[in-house]
Amino acid sequence: MSQRFRSLLLAWVLLMVLLAIEFGTSFLPLDRSARPLVLIPAVLMVAVVGTIFMEVGRGPEIVRLFAVAALLWLSMLLGLGSLDPMTRIDYPVQAAHPR
Amino acid sequence: MPEASLTHEFQYSSARHQAETAISGMWLFLATEVLFFGALFLTWIYSRHWNQAGFDAGARRTDLAIGTINTVILLASSFIFSAGLAFIEAGNTRRLIQCCAIAWLLGIGFLILKFGIEWREDFSKHLFPGPDFAINGPLGGGARIFFVFYFLGTAVHGLHMIGGLVLVGWIILRARRDEFSFRYYTPVCVVGLYWSFVDMVWIVLYPLIYLVGRGP
Repeated sequence: MSQRFRSLLLAWVLLMVLLAIEFGTSFLPLDRSARPLVLIPAVLMVAVVGTIFMEVGRGPEIVRLFAVAALLWLSMLLGLGSLDPMTRIDYPVQAAHPR
Repeated sequence: MPEASLTHEFQYSSARHQAETAISGMWLFLATEVLFFGALFLTWIYSRHWNQAGFDAGARRTDLAIGTINTVILLASSFIFSAGLAFIEAGNTRRLIQCCAIAWLLGIGFLILKFGIEWREDFSKHLFPGPDFAINGPLGGGARIFFVFYFLGTAVHGLHMIGGLVLVGWIILRARRDEFSFRYYTPVCVVGLYWSFVDMVWIVLYPLIYLVGRGP
């Protein structure tokens, strides 16, 4: 019990540190298009919650399958969905002249 | 994972099989929830890409202090519920009830801050994307889309929180009736998964709403 509690407490401290990093980096003078990098600590926090609080490594094999499937579907959704905005080139449109 | 309960339903080969099915079922449900929220996150990516300046103007009008306090509250709530699960694994029902009660109260605190204070302030500052929206000019369109995302995202997350609070309350009631022991605590595991997932969603929403658009 105390071993499990210790690992939970450690995870919570780690989450607080990651939150502080995330909070701090949001004030860095990053370019507007580079600002989504602020999300990196959030991704690590999700991983900590998934592995330690939700114990994805414990339990039946199918739990891992569902977790991996969720990540795969999510990456397909976000990857394919953002393909258009990330790769489209906008060409300036010539202004119409009134006759 | 609970080792065994005393009885099991007829369709399962053992109590362990029943417990594993319940936990796997919750994980499958959460996998569908990932896609549900994934669509919301995709709208953020797409909308911000085309309206970066307007999105950032909207994000700077959000209440960073309340957002950050709420993040700490939810992380603490998830940690404390997980601690309660560890306590019942060791057979300590009293500590489970205490942990669940604290987790429940923290959840209520989150909702009060979010909807009782922050949303009220947002409405009074005319940040709801309606006819008297506060941000006008060239950034108005992007800021409107940001606040549609903000209100939709926080409302959907809030509904999940309310569902989670009902479930945590149900665990407290069952624990008070002494229905859990070190041999049977599957519902605590299942509700714990859901509660941590709601926390996970907020971990992603927090920077999308409050942090990415901020900065010098």
